[in-house]
Formats: sequence, structure tokens, C-alpha cells
Amino acid sequence: MGDLFSAVLDVGTTESAYTAAARFAVVLAFAAVGEWVAERAGTLNISVEAMILAGAFGAALGYHATGSVVLGLVGGMLAGGAVASVQAQMSHRLTADQFVVGLTLNILVLGIVGFLDSEWKLSTRTASIVEVPFLVDIPLVGPALFGQPWPFYLIYLITPLFAWLVLRTRWGLEVRSVGENPQAADVSGIDVNRRRRQSIYLGGLSAGLGGGYLLLGQVGRFDPGIVAGRGFIALVAVIFGGWTLRGAIFGCLLFGSVLSFRLTLPGLGYDLNNEMLSSLPSLVTIAAMALFAHAVRQPEALARPFIRGLK
Amino acid sequence: MSLAVGSGRGTGGRVVEVVTIYVVCGMAALVFSGLIVEAVGSDWTDVGKALLNGSVLKPGRWGGTIGVTIPLAMVAIGTIISTKANLVNIGQEGQLLVGAATATYVGSRISAPGPIVVVLILLAGVLGGALWSGIAGGLRYWRKVPEVLTTLLLVAVASNLVGYGLKNPWLLLDPEAKLGNRNMVSRQLPLDTRMPRITLWGNEISISAFLAVALILLVGWMLSRTIWGFRLTVVGQNRRVATRFGISESAHGMIAMFASGGFAGLAGAFMLTGGDFANYRLVPGFSVNIGWVGLLVALVANNRAMAVIPMAFVFASLRTGSGFLASTGIERRVTDVVQGLIVLALLLPPAIMFIRERRRALASARSRV
Amino acid sequence: MGPPAAICARLLSKSYGAVAACDAVDIELHSGEIHGILGENGAGKSTLMKMLIGLVVPDSGTILVDGSPVQISDPVVAASLGIGMVHQHFSLVEALSVWENVALGDSGRLDRTAVRGAVGEMGERYGLHVDPDARVADLPVGLRQRVEILKCLRREPAILIFDEPTSVLTPEESDELFGSLRNVVEQEGRSVALVSHKLTEMLGVTDRVTIMRNGRVVERCLTAETDAGALARAMVGRDVRLRSGSRPSARASAEESPSTDTRPAPVLEFRGVTVAESRGFVELEDLSLVLRAGEILGVAGVEGNGQRVIADLLSGLRSQTSGDVLVSGEVIDVGRLGATIRAGVAVIPEDRHDSGIVLGMTVAENLMLADPAAIADRGVIDRAAMGEMARGLIERFAIMCTGPNAPMWTLSGGNQQRVVLAREITASPKVLVAAQPTRGLDVGAIEYMTDQLRQVASTGVGILLISSELDEILELADRIVVLYRGEMTGEMSRSEATREKIGRLMGGDLT
Repeated sequence: MGDLFSAVLDVGTTESAYTAAARFAVVLAFAAVGEWVAERAGTLNISVEAMILAGAFGAALGYHATGSVVLGLVGGMLAGGAVASVQAQMSHRLTADQFVVGLTLNILVLGIVGFLDSEWKLSTRTASIVEVPFLVDIPLVGPALFGQPWPFYLIYLITPLFAWLVLRTRWGLEVRSVGENPQAADVSGIDVNRRRRQSIYLGGLSAGLGGGYLLLGQVGRFDPGIVAGRGFIALVAVIFGGWTLRGAIFGCLLFGSVLSFRLTLPGLGYDLNNEMLSSLPSLVTIAAMALFAHAVRQPEALARPFIRGLK
Repeated sequence: MSLAVGSGRGTGGRVVEVVTIYVVCGMAALVFSGLIVEAVGSDWTDVGKALLNGSVLKPGRWGGTIGVTIPLAMVAIGTIISTKANLVNIGQEGQLLVGAATATYVGSRISAPGPIVVVLILLAGVLGGALWSGIAGGLRYWRKVPEVLTTLLLVAVASNLVGYGLKNPWLLLDPEAKLGNRNMVSRQLPLDTRMPRITLWGNEISISAFLAVALILLVGWMLSRTIWGFRLTVVGQNRRVATRFGISESAHGMIAMFASGGFAGLAGAFMLTGGDFANYRLVPGFSVNIGWVGLLVALVANNRAMAVIPMAFVFASLRTGSGFLASTGIERRVTDVVQGLIVLALLLPPAIMFIRERRRALASARSRV
Repeated sequence: MGPPAAICARLLSKSYGAVAACDAVDIELHSGEIHGILGENGAGKSTLMKMLIGLVVPDSGTILVDGSPVQISDPVVAASLGIGMVHQHFSLVEALSVWENVALGDSGRLDRTAVRGAVGEMGERYGLHVDPDARVADLPVGLRQRVEILKCLRREPAILIFDEPTSVLTPEESDELFGSLRNVVEQEGRSVALVSHKLTEMLGVTDRVTIMRNGRVVERCLTAETDAGALARAMVGRDVRLRSGSRPSARASAEESPSTDTRPAPVLEFRGVTVAESRGFVELEDLSLVLRAGEILGVAGVEGNGQRVIADLLSGLRSQTSGDVLVSGEVIDVGRLGATIRAGVAVIPEDRHDSGIVLGMTVAENLMLADPAAIADRGVIDRAAMGEMARGLIERFAIMCTGPNAPMWTLSGGNQQRVVLAREITASPKVLVAAQPTRGLDVGAIEYMTDQLRQVASTGVGILLISSELDEILELADRIVVLYRGEMTGEMSRSEATREKIGRLMGGDLT
């Protein structure tokens, strides 16, 4: 236990730890922000993992074909959107069970991407680091938040954009109503499933962008195992955050930090239980739900499909 | 649940409709898969032949396929029980792992006559899996946490737990394992604690197959013919009616969760003692997605106990068939693709039929004012 | 003739399968008028309105708005044509605020200030005051309906359709509503369609009435030129014994005897029962009542004043915060699972889909819910016995279905209610709680249910009749209590009861 305490202290004062945490967290954030929108609409998309993976592969393809990081990221977004459209169309137009579709997409996309990766050899690199003057000099967190490869900064655009979309626009009002009481929304003339599909597309674009960042801003080389469960952790972060955007971001920061511990600790000379750390996000979320379930409000219609005429 | 015998609603025409929908969707999946294969420059007929050969055609292969069918079917039948109670259990992968782990622990430590140890191994598997799903059940009924979330989260925890166990000789690690990452495996089960295998028409199958079939029949019967099954169905279909008539939602629900996890754990135990998997050892990554695929089997079988065995066999065939793909020069992962497409295609018929059924119902209900 | 009708439907038809919900319906709604559409449940009035509002597409016929033919394919189109509907089952999203709900369904930029302002302004204009920032989940039913109406009025509809609006209002609130409707119609020249099955509403507030039966229009008249009897005859197609409250003499003499020990023993008692929600909202306040064997005790009151709670308590779905419930003199713990059933309390719930039947199971399975062990042998269901039991009940209660194996959802509402009745009665209860037992039933089914209840009472079962239909209470009850905001505001025997007296008590007026 004392070990853990000094470990935390050590990590808390090491700049590189913050940088590593931020890099981990930002991928989670891209996906979580998108899934937050989708869950406010009442959908639960286990396929976030597949969306990020597709995004990474799409970015690799895009970069390989054009040599441009920007186009690579666009490719990532489109790939994430493609996966999202399968989830959206099958679950919210063809009424297939969204969990099954989500699970299947995870396996399917992994298969496709692994298959194609072994057939086509793609060459990629990481984007260049862009430092924000002044801000990057803040001790400890400066480089973590302002001294990253430029795709990182897109999260600072996406988050307020999505917040504005959901909380301040008519589209967002309709999305929220669809997640709380789809029958009422339907009677008010709103196309329930259409709003749900749109929110899932948004989630896919964002998660795909996250995958693109993961490849072009962080790892640099594609591998089918590149996502390693980040999609699930992002899902957990949304739930952990009580379906608020602030909560989701906080969850991403928290989980990102904990998981990046695994990487920074050995460097500092510690050897903590790896498996414990890896399960920490899940355990913490379970505990949080058990303790606070009564206080947290989930969208009333979460994970309940809508078919007109049926309760 | 239906106790109806011969509802006599033009069943002939309905059967044709159902079969047509399935065939069309299945064909679409196969066509897509073929296209993907061709796109990479390989020949889809080669793939098809390899899959068929690998799963059933070549001598001795369908025995292996049955070996994979067993745990898939167990996971599926357990899932059907929890679905009956309107619970969403998507954590079978984790429950299977915990079951396999407890089974390994018992099997590698207890010294007793062989057959007794086998039974204990199976029981340990059931208990381990049931405990794991029980956690999610308990959280649902006592803290109102949705089980869809907890079962999912517990999968990662299970995987890490088992990984930890395999690093420690006092838990699961084989004390005689050589050092280094590649040898984090458990002790191999002694000869007399393994499931006996028999040879049928040139194929070796573990006798767990018979046990599995018996269990499926038992569960199917219990669900549709006993008061317990009746009460479980009421709980699943209308909680308030259940409460009104003194049927405990939490008691029946917990039992359903325990059963669901228990079967997944049993699947893990079968995988361990059956010999068709990691050669009677617990290894990292032991579950090889059997939990996830078993869940898919249940959903694709439309939650009907009788459809579990054929559906499980289909998915098992894909897996064993892919073993032959290497010889065709095609990446093994293509079977994941084929499997995924088939599942997606098979999701459509139940959904389509459900919608048509409800439309007919609403129409006839309105007409009888 | 005057200017063209605001909206006009010609030969409008809609069929579901072989049955015509609407058959060549002609109707004209004029501006400056309140037009009543009267008919029993299933007469087709709901379907007709759904076609006008775009929720249902007609099979044939035309709709003309201001003289020009239109196609109303969805609610958005209807709104653009100036047709608005205030729904019977509200269309509000509880988690959102009043102004957000009012804004829902609009198009264009979301302007918070503008919408909030509009809520205030309209509230003034029509006397429908509501706090725009309140969360709908926190509002009581009467206020929620106001939000519904504001939502509708906001779009400045030329034609307003009200679907059974008074089922959740006190007589006073109903009067207020109708006053607002008059304003809307006279001052602003709009057209209002009032869909209802209540004769008194028709006579009290409309200018014209169109009566529908079995999907067809059977009569049209000016309200001033008709009366209750004529309307009822048209509605039902035969002379109806308008609820005259005729009492069988046996019970009448029993109730008039002095309060001594010759009265039958109490089968149900509430002693100071209070039910308070976790948020502090009190649903039942210190309620005490006594129900005797063979007696029908009517619990009158507008919906939402605690009736649901009483039924839920006696169904074992809730428990009280304080006070005792006694059945046949013994205190029972309603919160314990199965306690009410074991004590011999049968319930016909007000919403059978919620707690009365399992739609996905068969008729036989629903019939055996009360006591499955009776047709089982050591835990295994005896299908032959089950079929026999079911067939017997189907025959005895004339349940129209294809057989014991018919799925419950294929039965009509009336027949589903018979299944509930059959099951509850044959369990030999001591107490039968009948909550809104004839709601949503056609006249034939109503008569059947009423007779059955009387019969059951005559066998010595105590009946707690909970109903917001005053006529039903006056018809059946021997004694009457009135609920208002969870408290009993009055108690009387049938002979002391008058419509006016009960109406006032229902509205909380204790003078």
C-alpha cells in the first residue's frame, strides 16, 4: 500500500506521466464524446471499439494513398462513419438487436481489418508536434495538453461543438427527447429512429477521428490490435460520467491516467500489479454504479428500441 | 413460451415464409463474403471447399466440430434462461473464463479417484460461472444497476483475474512451467481426470456431448413444462403481474442469472476437460471468444432451446473449417469476416418476422373492437 | 351555407384487415364552432381524428381544408395545414422543462426567450397559467394537460382537436377548460372538435354533434335541438336503459337498517392508511373505510386522487407508510409478496396490460396465474387439466377467442377483461377490487360486467368499486366514499347520494 502511495506521488510529479495520460485519454475522449451523443438519444453502441479500429485503418489507408495527414484523418472519420451506419441502419431501421449488432461488428471489423492489413502493406507515420506558445510552458500539464501532435487539439473543438449541438440546438432537443420518451417525441412529429441514427453517425465520425489520431498522432504504425479495448473503456466512461459530458470527459481523464500508469510505472522503477490496473476502470465504474445508481439519471429510453405502435 | 399444440394458423405457409427469409439472408451473407475474398485476389470456391472440408467433410473433422459445438451450446442455453427472465446477460465470455479457472484450480489440486474429480471439475466450473454472473445479478436486484452494463464490465475483470492467476503458482500456474511469458499455463489435467472420449465412425468425441444434449433437453423441458418455467416466463414478461401473484421477481431473476453464468462456467469446464481446446490446460486467452459467439448463437436461434444445437454446430463449423484455410493461402481472419456477415444476415429474419407478426397482431386487434 | 368549412372529410375510410374502422365518413367542422364527435369506444372517432392529424393514412376518401383537397401524410403536414390535436395520453417528455416541451415539434432555431415568453403570454390569454421553467416530471396532471394545450395552441391552429380531455379533470377544471375553449372559438374564430363518449359534455359545451357507431356516421344534429336520450339512442342503436340507478330491493333494505350488529361482518378495513412517496408527496392521507360482505362500496373521485394507490396496495404492488389493512378482521402486510392474494383479495386492475394480464401468454396461462399449482402435479404442468380448466372458464364467461391456446393479444379489450374477471372470481375471494372495470368497453360489455359484479356481491363477496364514472358508482354502489387529493372528503349511503353532492366532494368542496 505504501508502495502505491509513493508510486502515485512519483507519477504525479513526472511530466511524462501527464503526457502519457493525456495521450491515452484523448483517444477515449474522441470516442466517449460521440457515444455520449448516441446514448443521450437512447442507443447503446457496443461497436464503439469497431468504430475506432475502422478509424485507425481508414486513416492508414488515407495516408498511404495520399501522403496527407489531413486526408488520413478524413479517411478515419469516414471509416468510423461506415461502421456507425451499419450499426444505425441495422438496429434503428431494421430493428435488429443493438447488442448483437454491436458485438458482431466488433468481431467483423477486426476480421476485415486484420485480413486486409495482412494483404496490403500500408506505410504511415506520425504527425508532427505543434506546440502552443506560452500554454505549453505550464509546469507538469503544459506539454501534456498543449505540446502534442496537432490532431490532438481537435478534441478541443469537438467537445464544445458536440455540447452545443446536443444542449443548445433544436436538433439536440429532439435527440434528448428521443432518448427520454420516444413515444412523446413521435407524436410531436419527430422521426425517432432517424434522430437516433444521426446521433450514431456522429458517434462514428468522432470515434473514427479518434482512431485516426491513435494511428497518425500516436502509434504511427497500424496493427489490428492497436485499439486494445479503448472503445469499451470509452463506453464505461460515458456511463461512469452519469451521461453528462463533463462526467464523460472526467471519466476519460481518470481512466486514461490509470491505464497509462501501466506504461509509466515500470519506467519509474515500480512493478505494480498489471492486471489490477487494467481492471481498475471496470471495477471503479461498477463500484460507482452500485453506490450512486439511485442518484444518476440515465436517459429513460436507453437501449430500448423504438417501433411505432409498440410500447 | 407456448404450451400450444397445433395452433392451426396456416402453419404451412408460415414455415415457407420463414425458410425463405433465412435462405435469402444467408445467401446474401455468403455472396458478400465471396466478394471480399475475390477482392483480395483469392478464389472463393477454394475458401468454401476448405471450410467444408475442415469442418465436416474430411475424416475425423466433425468430431472436432462437435467439440466446439458443446461449449457454444452450453453458453447459448444458459443465455436463453436469462433472456426468458428478460435479463440481458452479455458477460458470458467472462463467466466462462472464471468457470474454467475454478475448474482448473480444483482439477489440479484434488487427489481423489478420477471420475469423482471429473464431476468436481464440472461442478467447480458451474459454481465459478454462477458466482460471476451472480455478482451482476446481485447488483441489479439490490442496487438497481442494469445487468447489461455490469456483465459487460465484468468480462474485462475476469480476463485480468485469470491472467493474474496464471502468473502465480499458488493459484493456477503450473509450478513446473519454465520461466518467461510464453509458458504461463496451468498444470495439465492428469489422465484420469479428463473426460472420456469415444470414437464414432472414425471421429473422436468427448462424452460431454451426450451430457450437453441431455442438459439442453432438460432445460427446454423445464422452461416449457414446469411451474418454475411458467413463473420465470411471467417474471420476464410482466414484472408487476408477477409481483401481484406472489412470484418473486428477484428470486427467479437471481436463479436465472446464476443458471446463465453457471452454464457459461460449465462450458469452460467442458472446454478444459474435453480436450478439444488447449490440451487440458488453462492458457492465456483460453476462452477464444466462445462466450461471445455462444451469446450470438442464442440470439440467432431466436431463443429457442431446440434451435441451439444446429445453430451452435454452424458456428462451430466456421471455426474448425477455418483451420483448413491456411493451406489455401488465405488469412485465417477471413472466417471472422464470414462469421460476422452470417450473423448480421441471420439477425434479419427474426427481426423481420417479429415486425410482421406485430403488424398482423395490431391489425387483428383493432378489427375486434 | 356560408364560407367553406374549415375542414371537411368526404367518404373517408380506413380498414384494418377485414374490419372497417371508418366507413365512408363525412364530416364538416366550421370556424367559430365547437363540434362534438360522440360515440362509444370503437365507434371510429379515434381513427377519424388520427387521419385528420396524420397519424393514420386513409384508405380512401378526401380531406379538404378551406375547400382545397389535401394529403395529410404525417403530423408535420397536419400542423402546416393548421390542424392541431391535444392528445388523450399526453405527449410530454417528463425529463424536459415546460418550455422545452412546448418547443418540441417546432422547426427552426431554438429560441429560449421567445418560447418562454410565448408560454407566459398564452397562459394569460387563455387562462392556462404554467411556469415555463418547471420540469414536467414535477407537475401534477391538471397542469400537464395545460402544457399539452399550450403546445397545441402555439402553432396557431385553425382547427383544434381534443381527444377525451376531461378524463383527468375535476368537474371544476373541466368547466374552466370548456370556458377557455369557448374563448378560443368565439374570440379567435377557430374551430374545435371535441371527441368524447360523455353525453353530459356534449350537451353542455358543443354547438353541433356528430354521432358515430361502428365506423359510420349515424346522425348529425344541433346540440340545442337534442337531448341525452336521443344522443344515447343514436350512439347505441337501441333504447338504452340510461343509468337510472335502480336498486335491487334486498340490498336496499339491508342498507337502511340501523347501524347495529345485524350487518354482515367487515371483509376489508382500512385504518388510518397513509401512503407517502419518498419525495414527501402524500398520495393517501389517513384513509379509513369499512367494506362488508356482500356490499358494494363505491370509491368516487377524479382520476389521480389516490384511487390507483388503493388498488396497488390491495394488489400487493405497494405498501403503506402507516396504518393497517385488514381482511376479514386480520391485519395483513400488503408489502409481503403474495400476502394479498393469500388473504383472498382479488383485483380487476384499471390497466390490465400493466398488472392484470400477460399479453404474450395464452388465455389458459393467464387463467392459471392465480393458482398454477392447481393444475400441476409436483411442479409439472398437467396440460390436460389446464386445457379443461380453461375451456370451462371460457364457456362460463363467454370469452370470445380461438381457444385456450389463443395468445392473449389476439383478444379484444372486452374479452381480455372477461379473462381477468374469470380468473379473479373463481379464486373464491373475500374481497374483489374492481378499478375502472368498464373503461374502454362497449355498451354490451359494460352491461355484462355490471351484472357480473352484482352477482358476485350477492354471493357474499365485498366489492370495492373504484371508478371515476359517476354513473357507474350511482348504478352499482350501496355506499359511497369520495376521494380528493388522497383524502376522503365524504361518505354516504346510496340513498343520500346525489350527483351534485358527489361532484362537489370530488372537487374538494366540503361545504
